[in-house]
Amino acid sequence: MLEINEVTKVYGEGKVIALDNVSFSIDKGEYVALMGHSGSGKSTLLNIIGGLDRLTSGRVVLDGQRLDDLEEANLVDIRRKKISYVFQQYHLLPSLTALENVLLPLTFAHNADGHERATRLLDGMGLGKRALHRPSQLSGGEQQRVAIARALISDPLLTLADEPTGNLDERTGQEILGLFDQLNREGRTIIMVTHNPEAAKRARKIIVLRDGRIVDVIVN
Amino acid sequence: MKLHQVVFKDVSRRKKRVLYATIGVVIATMTVIGILTIALAGRARIYNQLEKYGANLSLVPATKSLDTGLGDLTLGSVTVGDNYIQQDSIPVIQQIADTEIRQKIKVEQAGNIATIAPQLLVQADVKGTSVILAGVDPKAEYKIKSWWQVAQGKYIDGANQAVVGSQAASLLRINVGDSIPLKGTTLTVIGILADTGSADDYRIFVPLDVAQTAFGKQGLVSTIDVRALCNACPVEIIADAINKQIPGIRAVAVKQVAASEMGMLDKINKLMLALGGVTLIVGGFGVVNTLMASVHERIKDIGIMKAVGASRKQIIVAFIYEAVVTGIIGGLIGYGAGTALAYAIGPLIFEGSTVSVVPLYLPVSILLAVLIAVLATLYPAYHATKIRIADCFRAV
Repeated sequence: MLEINEVTKVYGEGKVIALDNVSFSIDKGEYVALMGHSGSGKSTLLNIIGGLDRLTSGRVVLDGQRLDDLEEANLVDIRRKKISYVFQQYHLLPSLTALENVLLPLTFAHNADGHERATRLLDGMGLGKRALHRPSQLSGGEQQRVAIARALISDPLLTLADEPTGNLDERTGQEILGLFDQLNREGRTIIMVTHNPEAAKRARKIIVLRDGRIVDVIVN
Repeated sequence: MKLHQVVFKDVSRRKKRVLYATIGVVIATMTVIGILTIALAGRARIYNQLEKYGANLSLVPATKSLDTGLGDLTLGSVTVGDNYIQQDSIPVIQQIADTEIRQKIKVEQAGNIATIAPQLLVQADVKGTSVILAGVDPKAEYKIKSWWQVAQGKYIDGANQAVVGSQAASLLRINVGDSIPLKGTTLTVIGILADTGSADDYRIFVPLDVAQTAFGKQGLVSTIDVRALCNACPVEIIADAINKQIPGIRAVAVKQVAASEMGMLDKINKLMLALGGVTLIVGGFGVVNTLMASVHERIKDIGIMKAVGASRKQIIVAFIYEAVVTGIIGGLIGYGAGTALAYAIGPLIFEGSTVSVVPLYLPVSILLAVLIAVLATLYPAYHATKIRIADCFRAV
């Protein structure tokens, strides 16, 4: 479903090579962890897959469609329909309630419905009673659940998670990872970036990066 | 949930920041509204001055006279015809003037509309000095010469009374209460006028009938000043009508003075507008600055919105919504502050002017403020949407 083909990313004028000729592919329903130390290029790779950043050379193909050379306007469409994100910093809009944050992608996609679905998603995450709270009134774990609900509201093909437990304590982190396990069991395709080996073990496949290259692929 | 709802929720949470962002807009609109309000007050003041300027029409005998002066040397004048206007033509003049004014401004007001002030000028000998004595209709004269002020004593309110021009009083050493013998009658000086800077300062004013009787000019006057009560009054038409209908009188419309005053007003208006324009440009830069900061501090939010599917257009539209809110708030505050500013400094610029609240400027202020805010937001917003999402998050 997702093909990464000889992707290279160079920052500056050839000085820093963040990704060096990286290739791999992912099937539908897979749960892949991109692992490595900081500076290994794992986050850059995730950003390139999601169109948050541009690559220097190579190809990214999702569902038969090349993403790397898309115009901004078409990338918007991909973000609305096919790829969603979960960030380490949650990245919720502080002015909106939990429920409104979950509905935000639908607002931009000109979709007025979804209220019921958003409520159901929040209920499923145990946040039914917190739906009308603002992010500042929620704990880190709760905020991340809201962010995950937001990532699911548009029913995307692929969900990208960048260190989703990086800001959370051990126990809350485990809960969030449990949530990802559950989502994968329900058939969702997930790519998660982490530097934590414990977290990576939850994925079905681990791709280990070092200095911008794939050094190991582990299948759990 | 609609995009504008997202924006309004955001604005209502960040009240203080939004208010801060409106400061630039407030300063710009405040200055413009202040200037406009002051200009309007100044205009009203000048109109008012014009109203007081005196006669709109001057009626003189239709003599064919040639002044044969040579520098300061007066050689006398050659006069053909009568030197006086018959006093009984006054009712006719009154009727002509009132009819024309009624037609022009469409009022059915009864009674006299125009003020008619006849004057008989005669040479008199007072305390051995020759002065000009003006026989006047005291009430009408005082109404037409609204700039007259009585410096000492009071104004004529009975028979055989006289008021004296300031220069005449000091030259002839006349004081209030003095008696002036005049060809058989005795006049009491009841008041002395303040300086007017005109020929009136050298004259002595007495009731018309006193002058006529004393000098044997019964039923005669030298000039008649006619003042219509409005600026838009058809003085030329009245002049034409009088010239046609009453033989022996030449009516002249005093329009030049008004025209030159209006020209000055026009210049003041232009200056004010230029000043306003410059302030607007300077204020505009301030607005760009504050709104640029306002956009920049939300780079992360822009990244979030883009990451969940916002297009660049949607983000720019969101910022326009916010700019409209900023503009409306800024326009309201700017209107209030500008009006207050006008109250504070208006009287210093146009002495004696009365500044008043101009409700019409409220929508003007809001429209202007919204326009400035939107224009000033467009560039930074457009620029911000070009930043890649990854960089939006890195910037924080």
